Amino acid sequence: MERRDFLQLLGLFSGAAMLPGCSENRSAGKLVSYLVPPDEGVLPGAALYLPSTCGECPAGCGLTVRVSEGRAVKLEGRAGHPVNDGGLCMRGQAALWRLYHPERLRNPLRRDGAGQFQPLSWDEALTLVVEELEQARQEGRANLLLSGRTTGTLTELQQHFCRQLGVEPLPQFEIFSHAALRKAYGILFGQAELPHYRIDQADLLLSIGADLLETFVSPVGYARQFSRAIKQDGFQWLHAEPHYSLTGANATERLVLNPGSEAALLSFLLLRIESSGQEGRLPRQLLRALPAVSAGQAARLTGLAEERLERLAKQLLLAERPLLIAGGIATGQPNGLQTALLAGLLQQQLGMIGSRIEFARAENYAAVGSLHDLQRLAERLEQDRVGVLLVCAADPLARAPAALDLPGKFKRAGLRVGLCDLFDDSARQFDLLLPLSHPLESWGDAVPRKGVLSLLKPALDPLHDSRSAGEVWLELLRRSAKPAESASYQEYLFDVWHRRLDERQLQQFAEQGYLSLPVAAVPLRLQAERAAGQLAGAETAVAAPWSLVLAPSIRSFDGRSGSLPLLSELPDPLSTVSYGRWLAMAPAAAQALQLEDRDLVRVAAGDWSADLPVRLQPGLAASVLMIQGDLLPEASLPIDPRSGELVRVLDGVRLEKLGSAAQLAILAGSSSQHGRGLIPDPAHHAEIPPEQSRFYRAHPHKEYRWAMTVDLELCIGCAACAAACYVENNVPVVGRRDHLRGREMSWLRIEPFYDQAGRAGFLPMLCQHCHNAPCEPVCPVYAAYHNPEGLNVQVYQRCVGTRYCSNNCPYKVRRFNWWQPQWQAPLEQMRNPDLAARDRGVMEKCTFCVQRIRRARDRARDEERPIRDGEVVTACGQSCPTGAIRFGNLLDEQSAVYRLARSERAYRVFAELGTEPSVYYLRKG
Amino acid sequence: MKSLAAREKLEQDVLKGLRRPGKWYLLGLACCALLFLGALGLWGYQLSRGLGVTGLMHPVGWGVYITNFVFWVGIAHSGTLISAVLFLFRARFRSSFNRAAEAMTIFALMVAGLFPLIHLGRVWIFYYLFPYPSQRTLWPNFRSPLVWDVFAISTYMIVSLVFFYLGTLPDLAIARRRLSGIRARIYSVLSLGWTGSHGQWKQYGRLYLFLAAFATPLVASVHSIVSWDFAVSILPGWHTTIFAPYFVAGAILSGTAMVIILVVPLRRALQLQPYISIDHFEAIAKILLLTSLIVSYAYLVEYGLAFYGHNQFEMELFRYRALGHYRALFWLMIVCNSLVPLTLFIRRLRRNLAYLFAVSLLVTLGMWVERFVLIVTSLAHDFDPYAWGTYTPSWVEIGITCGSFGLFFMLFLIFVKTVPVLSMSELKERL
Repeated sequence: MERRDFLQLLGLFSGAAMLPGCSENRSAGKLVSYLVPPDEGVLPGAALYLPSTCGECPAGCGLTVRVSEGRAVKLEGRAGHPVNDGGLCMRGQAALWRLYHPERLRNPLRRDGAGQFQPLSWDEALTLVVEELEQARQEGRANLLLSGRTTGTLTELQQHFCRQLGVEPLPQFEIFSHAALRKAYGILFGQAELPHYRIDQADLLLSIGADLLETFVSPVGYARQFSRAIKQDGFQWLHAEPHYSLTGANATERLVLNPGSEAALLSFLLLRIESSGQEGRLPRQLLRALPAVSAGQAARLTGLAEERLERLAKQLLLAERPLLIAGGIATGQPNGLQTALLAGLLQQQLGMIGSRIEFARAENYAAVGSLHDLQRLAERLEQDRVGVLLVCAADPLARAPAALDLPGKFKRAGLRVGLCDLFDDSARQFDLLLPLSHPLESWGDAVPRKGVLSLLKPALDPLHDSRSAGEVWLELLRRSAKPAESASYQEYLFDVWHRRLDERQLQQFAEQGYLSLPVAAVPLRLQAERAAGQLAGAETAVAAPWSLVLAPSIRSFDGRSGSLPLLSELPDPLSTVSYGRWLAMAPAAAQALQLEDRDLVRVAAGDWSADLPVRLQPGLAASVLMIQGDLLPEASLPIDPRSGELVRVLDGVRLEKLGSAAQLAILAGSSSQHGRGLIPDPAHHAEIPPEQSRFYRAHPHKEYRWAMTVDLELCIGCAACAAACYVENNVPVVGRRDHLRGREMSWLRIEPFYDQAGRAGFLPMLCQHCHNAPCEPVCPVYAAYHNPEGLNVQVYQRCVGTRYCSNNCPYKVRRFNWWQPQWQAPLEQMRNPDLAARDRGVMEKCTFCVQRIRRARDRARDEERPIRDGEVVTACGQSCPTGAIRFGNLLDEQSAVYRLARSERAYRVFAELGTEPSVYYLRKG
Repeated sequence: MKSLAAREKLEQDVLKGLRRPGKWYLLGLACCALLFLGALGLWGYQLSRGLGVTGLMHPVGWGVYITNFVFWVGIAHSGTLISAVLFLFRARFRSSFNRAAEAMTIFALMVAGLFPLIHLGRVWIFYYLFPYPSQRTLWPNFRSPLVWDVFAISTYMIVSLVFFYLGTLPDLAIARRRLSGIRARIYSVLSLGWTGSHGQWKQYGRLYLFLAAFATPLVASVHSIVSWDFAVSILPGWHTTIFAPYFVAGAILSGTAMVIILVVPLRRALQLQPYISIDHFEAIAKILLLTSLIVSYAYLVEYGLAFYGHNQFEMELFRYRALGHYRALFWLMIVCNSLVPLTLFIRRLRRNLAYLFAVSLLVTLGMWVERFVLIVTSLAHDFDPYAWGTYTPSWVEIGITCGSFGLFFMLFLIFVKTVPVLSMSELKERL
């Protein structure tokens, strides 16, 4: 080679070698950042636990987000949080599915002339909004903001934004607005608020219609309170409702009312208690306005026995700390406002207001409107008086009653701007879509009720090009050249917090993710005159058969969580239906019509009708039909003109048998336990099975023998455990087709069993980790084996898929991977990295969260000590709102499970088979 | 001289079967091969997609595939019974059937052996079931009946194969002598230098007797072990001590029925009427009748055990079997296996080949259904009522089942054209 060539080549190569250095790719910077200590949550295997607040429903439960390698992989209820104190419901567990939802909006979209959505930048989108706002203002058309319920700083910012930009904020939209209750309290006490009910302070709880354990205001909080209340001796819970709810199933006694007779029941109770002279506190003019309902009339109207009504009044009188909660279906009826008023009066009469009903800690619903507001919006839209309509984190199009024809009227607005997270049918009705960040991706705070401040802190970088509502409002302010105060919403929040909280509070807030703040007492005075005026003229109507009750769904709240695949995969706790919609019907009524499960019927009311498959619901009143409200969007439900509440009980419904059957995924093989004692009859004490001789040597245990106790007195069948298990253990969601074939994959399921009288018992069924496990000896390849700590382990790598273990399992808790599990991107990011992925052809089942045991063991080994009691908490036990599931070491005589397993209430399912399960159930009573 | 002519005729008659195949034969063979290839394709589909293509579900983890396995192992049973047991009992009519029955045994076992593989979730590591020193340093679980199956079936396969081959040796030598060309050379290799010398016959006789004695316990053992797949479990309806004799009797019942199904058309097609007489059929029909009675007795005993045991799980299961979702199949099984064979008490019917053939078809169907009912009902309706469910086979399972019949009959058709279907050397003794 010539010297000249050599130098040329040298120049070329060195130049080429320097070229990559010119790259602007900043992500490459992360590659060298390991020279300095790595960022939080980046280290593989090391998880980070961050505080946050759940945004899946308005309850605002505190969260602990487990972040692994920069991804949120598990949500847990935050222990100590004033709202939920550790528990989390199935919707909260499923909130991760919203974060990683494949149908999330990834960037702003604008509808073009042809009706197609075209992506555009945030810059363009926000400029467009500002221009349109300005233009509408000039044209004299109103710019409106309709938002879902917000609390805390976001509410203030939203108000500021509206004031500055001349946007009119409409009352916030929630279909579960509790408008009748708030209005009634406004009439009675001048406080149009939703008070905080203290079940844990009561010795007698009478709930009327309020679905405390499903959707009513703060279900996890109520469940937590219930678990505390039931530990007191003599706690009684009576639940009155026309239909059958999970709440009713868990009450000590469920009083089945005729639909619409709640007011009659309350009138009767008021008068009876008044006439007893013990608690008489009601002003005369009010008493005169009360409809006079005698015991006989009340019995006829409600359908309850006269004797039972008298006893109910007596129970209320005798109770030291009675509590009445009315709401839900009871106030979602044509006479709902009257029911709410009468309930408020009874609460006043029995001295609950101010003690067990706290207006000082009112749930933050003041900004929420009612359907009247939506009606007014519809009218204004029709008059073409709306310029820009901003809809933020609300789905009025899918939730509002069909009679309003909101989707049709929506088109009359000048520009419809939707701030939403999913690209669903409702989103397609907008002109401009601005993707909202998930609460887990955003900064924020929430004030679920007065006196509680809860923190939202990003657990991960936004997955898509999305922003939080606060960021959008601030940016719009800035672009309109209005004072925006802060550069970012984060700074805005920090400013607010620094202004309001002192240094110690701030630190506490940052560390624990919530703050309990002092609340001012609210003076309450019964405004007898106003109340009497409202009571007069209200009649008690009793519905004509059939009555159709649109019950709220524990799985989808008002329908908003219905698009999360996990919540369709989990069966409804009462009917065990997973996919599809169904009409619940009393077995006796179905028999009279010769209907069976899955038979199609046509339900009609007015000019609306729907074809639905029947599902028999033991315990349901014979003249009542029930469907989950969110599954019937097309039903044209009336609006109560007095309260603006949605009427959710339809009278005079027609029913017609169609003679064919539909496919419906009913997961329970039987509603009855056929006397098999899975849930023992409390009247009988279980026989202790004789010690059985064994062919094989017993397994030795040295240090640990893991066991679980499940307290059936506390279990409310809410299936939060099942949802938590899905997320923790990467259990695949298989979909409707496989559910119809009986191939659900849940490692843990809630089995509802009904007795002759229709009372339900709930049994969480999971791998029992038997000491004499029938699955172990039959596996030819030792894939099912007993580990030294008493776990019945499944070794996926060894499994050849004979399915003999599942056949031989008396509890039928093993799950086979019929297909290769599918995780539609980006759902795969949700998977727990601590767990092996299962392939098709492999058996899987509950592991007692062996990865959590391992984590605790590692920690204990680092600190050179044994694992402490309570250090291992399984995902199911963590999520349980009532703390029914305990886990620990059976060899440790100090442990909770040791004590509980030896309790008089302890029993094991199918003990007579000699399998010696490690799961001990504690029966009721 | 008469004897010599008869022998000559016998050899000619039997070896006629080895002539160039006719069009009906080829058509039948093609049909069977198509069925088999179709099943292979379906298995490939199942392998690529997963077991989700079957109708199997929770709680029914075993369905048509295991039914087929038990069914075909059962079919394989009569081979040993007819060749070994009847040989020991010196039952003369045995020689009319033993070759076909032995071939049937081997083919049925080959088919049966496929099903445990087809039903595996991860068939590509099926060898985990075999005891061999591996880097996993793990033996199979010798407590598992599925491992016992591996031993039982492979032992039975080897013994049956040796027994069959040994029995054909003299006939292969005859074929070598009477055929020419490439076929003569093949038979010459296969006949292992058989000359028919006195010494060879002496050794042969002793070995044959020994193998017969060795194979006889297998009649009891193989299907007993297969039955333990179920009896060792704890499921109601499976967990019972009667299973071993009950399964053996059932196996012989279905196997005899299959022998009749195979030999009746064979006799007609190859014009073997002089060698397989009605008397012989009658004798085998009696075996069928006897085993049918044993099986019926077992059905009764099962119900008796459930009734007297008064175990709620057992009682409910047996109620479900007779009156539940699969009741139609249960009653079909009773009709086919218990009622229809009773007609064979009538001598005239017993000796009517068409009728016997029809009865055998029904018994074969009934025995398949019996295994299905037994396997599926127990799984579908066990301890936890929440987990109850019903199973319906998918078209993939049905296709593979049809394919298994295709494979079986294909192998048998090939056998008919390649091996003398009657034991000429034994028949000569009868002359």
